[in-house]
Amino acid sequence: MAEMWISMGPQHPMTHGLWTLKVKIDGETIVDTIPDLGYIHRGVEKICESRDFTQITPYCDRLCYASANTWSHSYIYAAENLLEVEVPERAEYIRLIAVEIQRIASHLMWLGAYCPDIGNLTAFVYCLREREMMLDLLQELGGSRMHYNFPRIGGVKRDLPHGFAMRCRAKVKLFLERIHEYEALLDESTIFLIRTQGVGYAKPEEMVNHGVTGPNLRAGGVNYDVRWAHPYSVYDELDWTPSVERSSVKGADCYDRYRVRLDEMKTSAELILQALDRIPGGAETYHEPGDPALVAKAPSRATDGQTGFHHFEDPRGESMFYIVGGGDERGKNPYRVSIRSPMFITIPYAAKCMIGYKIADVPAIMGSFDPCIGETDR
Amino acid sequence: MGMKVNHEKQVAAANDVITALDAEFSGEGLSCELRMHAGGKQQRSYVYLECPPSIWLIVAETLSEVHGVDYCSMITGIHWPEKAPEMEWQIVVHLMRMGIQNPPSSEGIVIPIISDASILQGSDMPLEFEISIPISETRTPTVPSVQHIWVGADWNEKETWDLVGIDFEGHKEMRRVLQPHETPAGFHPLQKQHKLRYHEFNEMYDDAQGFMRKSEDIGKVK
Repeated sequence: MAEMWISMGPQHPMTHGLWTLKVKIDGETIVDTIPDLGYIHRGVEKICESRDFTQITPYCDRLCYASANTWSHSYIYAAENLLEVEVPERAEYIRLIAVEIQRIASHLMWLGAYCPDIGNLTAFVYCLREREMMLDLLQELGGSRMHYNFPRIGGVKRDLPHGFAMRCRAKVKLFLERIHEYEALLDESTIFLIRTQGVGYAKPEEMVNHGVTGPNLRAGGVNYDVRWAHPYSVYDELDWTPSVERSSVKGADCYDRYRVRLDEMKTSAELILQALDRIPGGAETYHEPGDPALVAKAPSRATDGQTGFHHFEDPRGESMFYIVGGGDERGKNPYRVSIRSPMFITIPYAAKCMIGYKIADVPAIMGSFDPCIGETDR
Repeated sequence: MGMKVNHEKQVAAANDVITALDAEFSGEGLSCELRMHAGGKQQRSYVYLECPPSIWLIVAETLSEVHGVDYCSMITGIHWPEKAPEMEWQIVVHLMRMGIQNPPSSEGIVIPIISDASILQGSDMPLEFEISIPISETRTPTVPSVQHIWVGADWNEKETWDLVGIDFEGHKEMRRVLQPHETPAGFHPLQKQHKLRYHEFNEMYDDAQGFMRKSEDIGKVK
C-alpha cells in the first residue's frame, strides 16, 4: 500500500501542548515518526544568565504548567549545591510536603487529560475534583494556584499555616479513599482496557539507554528512583518504597504506566501523612517568614569556577539543573544555567515506541508517557 | 526497608571506578577525582572526570562497557570567550550508573526487581558522573558524538549544537530542535556575543500595550 506522511499537531488533541508529530503510515500501520519540538521555546536558559539567583526561581516555576513546584525545587537544590547552603530540617520537611502534593496534582492532571484521549470523559471530572483539593493545599502554602514561587535558597518562603496539618490530613485521607473510585471507573471499563493493554510496549533496559526515567521506567518492573539512589531532602528518614508495576514480558504497556502512576499517588499521599507526623517542631507550630528555622543564610554570589548540579525526581522522570557561577554583576548572576528536561528526552523515545502500532494508538501511547511541552521546549 | 544508599559503600564504589580509570587513561590526559556535593542535608559523592576531547569516545566506551554506566543524563555546552586560548568551549556530560536490567519473568508476567538500597555495593551501587571536556580556541568546536553508546545522548547533542553551537562528530541527523528550522546557519543564542539585558520595571511596563506607538507610515496615509 502507498505510504504517506500525516502531520499530527501543532494543534491536535493528542499533543497535550504545542508540538508536531509527523507520522508515516502504511495503510493504518505506523512505519516511521519524526517529532518536531520548539514551538514554545522561550530561551529560559538565556534569560537566567541576566537574572540573579533569587530571580530565577519564578522562571523555573513557569517551566511546567502541570507541576510548577517540583521544577522550582529542582532549581533550588542545584542552587544550594552551588552556593553551599545547609537547609534547616523543618524546611526540608515542608518542601517534601509541597513537592509530594504537587506530584499528586500533576499525576491527577495527567490522568484527567489522558482519559478523554482514549474515550473516557467521565474520569476527567473526577480527577479535577481531587486536583482541586490539592491545589487548595498548595494555595495555602504558596499563595497561588499555579505558580507558587515557594522555595527559597536555604529554605522555604513560609511556614505551614495555622491548621494546615489538620486540613491536609483530612484531604489526603479523603483522596486515598477516592483513588478507589478511579480504579472502579477505569479498571473495569472495557474501552479503557482495550485501548491501553498490549499497546506501546517498552523494555526497561531500552528505556534507560534512551534516557527515559521516572514512572515510565518503574512501570517496567524496576524500582529505580532518584529519591533513594541519590537521596536528597529527607526521603531517607521516612518509611516508603517506590511503586513498581508487574508488567508483561514484552515490557511496560500503557496500562502499566497508568497503574504505576495510581500507585505513586498513594505513595505520595502516605509520604505526606508521615512527614506531617514527623516534622521537627511539630506541624502545629508557626514561625514567622524568615525565621532561622525556615531559611538558612545563603550567599548571594557565586565565584567564577563554582558549579552545582542536582538530580531531582520530577513527576515525569529525572529533572536536573546544572549551574555555573560567576556571571555578570560580579557573580550575582549565573554564568550558565542548563536544564535537563525529562520529557525532552522521552518524547523521541515515545515516538519510536509507537512504530508498528496503528495510527489510532498514537494518542494512547503518547499520552501514557505524560508529555508536558512547557518543560520540553523551555 | 532501608531506603538509603550506604555512603561508605558508595565512596568505595566510586574509588574503584577512579582507580581503574586512572590506571588505564592517566597517561593520556584523563584526570579523575572523587567529589562531594556541597549543600543540602545529605552527603553524596560523585566521580568527576576531566577528559581531553581526543580520548572522550574511548573513555565513554569504557565507562559504558566496563563500569556499567547505562544512562546519559545530560550533555551541555558552555561558551567561555574570556578563557579563550585553552578553554574557549566546554562540554559538560552528566552520566549515571543505574544498574537497570530487564526483570526476570514467570508465566508471562515479570517479577519486579526491588533493590534494597542499603545493601547495594560494588558495581550495583548507583553512581553519578560529571565529565568536563575542554575545547581550545576555535571557530568550529567539535567533540565525538556518543549517540551510538547512549541513545539518550542523541537529543542532548542536538540541543547543544542548536543552542551553543558545538558540533558532534559522527552524530546522525543533526538538526535544529528548539529553534525554528529556518534559523540562519551559525546563529546559536547561548554563545556569549549575544547579550541579554535586564530591563528595569519602568522600562518594561511603560506602555506595555503599545498604545503610544506610532506606525512607521504615520503622516503618509490619508
